[in-house]
Amino acid sequence: MNPPDLDRMISRVEDLPTLPRTVLKITELVNDPKSSARDLARIITDDQVLAARLLKLVNSSFYGFPQRISTITGAIVLLGFDAIRNLLLTTSVFDLFSNRRKISLIRQEQFWDHSLGCAVGAKVIGDHLRYDKVEELFVSGLLHDIGKIVEMIFIPDEFKEINQLIRNKNILMITAEEKILGYSHPLVGKLLAERWNLPPKLISVILHHHKPTEAGPFVLEAAIVHLADIFCRSLNIGYGGDNKMPALDRLAWDNMRIKPQAIEAMMAEIKGEFDEISLFITHTP
Amino acid sequence: MIGLKIEELKPGMILARSVYNQQDLLLLEKGTSLTKKRIWMLKTWGVDRVSVKGKSQGGGESDFEAVLETKESIEAELKAKFADVIDEPIMQEIMKAAARQLQKSLIDQEKENEPA
Repeated sequence: MNPPDLDRMISRVEDLPTLPRTVLKITELVNDPKSSARDLARIITDDQVLAARLLKLVNSSFYGFPQRISTITGAIVLLGFDAIRNLLLTTSVFDLFSNRRKISLIRQEQFWDHSLGCAVGAKVIGDHLRYDKVEELFVSGLLHDIGKIVEMIFIPDEFKEINQLIRNKNILMITAEEKILGYSHPLVGKLLAERWNLPPKLISVILHHHKPTEAGPFVLEAAIVHLADIFCRSLNIGYGGDNKMPALDRLAWDNMRIKPQAIEAMMAEIKGEFDEISLFITHTP
Repeated sequence: MIGLKIEELKPGMILARSVYNQQDLLLLEKGTSLTKKRIWMLKTWGVDRVSVKGKSQGGGESDFEAVLETKESIEAELKAKFADVIDEPIMQEIMKAAARQLQKSLIDQEKENEPA
């Protein structure tokens, strides 16, 4: 049974933000084996903001293509359907939450940096492990804490209490949430992800990023985001809401088979890539 | 505390007062350490003066000494952050690696801050 507050939040699930129609259309297209690059290009070109962002991104050194890419079709051919969908999902998600005057700007900027840092971190760790769909990891990292944003918007009073408790006791946000709400942001994020019809893998990572061993078939993906979170917090990339390190899920760590000597090189790469990409997808409130 | 023009800000300086925009929305909280990106953000918001930690020396506008992050302050901050999880050997490795990386950025910042 869910705690009463959570029930209240679920009952308002119809009010939860929805994804921009363009991104939903693109998701449909990506799932349709008959669709072509030209179909996708047509939808993106209709949305000038998305089109401009996409071109800016593919031309950033994050992707490192030697030539300038000036057409949407060119970008699609180079990056592939899934990558495009994930990129646009990336840049759209945070628009949903902007212009909400109740949230302080620093909070938004820092939260965005934390999410973006974890996205980059998950990609870097994925590359290290030769995981074949690093774009998926990127999006997982980006969305792992989305539950915190939902709390900020839907239960602002309780969210304020949570933050006061964090400040007074210097504890993790998840601990403060359990104390005040009886549930925490992974569960809230999962509800939103379900509402958005995101893929099961993504939902599972959001729900289990603090305890990846419980993620069943997606334990590797959840472990990667879990580690990315720890790396970003230790490197002061953004602000996840508190000043504590979450406990390492040791089983999940062992499962990844990362050599301790490889840690620092990965962290250096995350720092470098984060600085690079954050200039391109800066969240402008 | 010293008041500086936006052009005088350097990465590593620490805000002594919160910064607001013209509509009184909070931009950056007091205590935030400045990065290139944050300075750029303040510029784009049209902020022209902020207060940073430090003291002015002599009487001239440009005689000041700002408090910057140090190797020691980085280590102390990490230790506090890792206090509950430091029994885990992997977390110790992560903390050491983070300390080296953060100190490296500090040195890079200092180099950038040196007058050319």
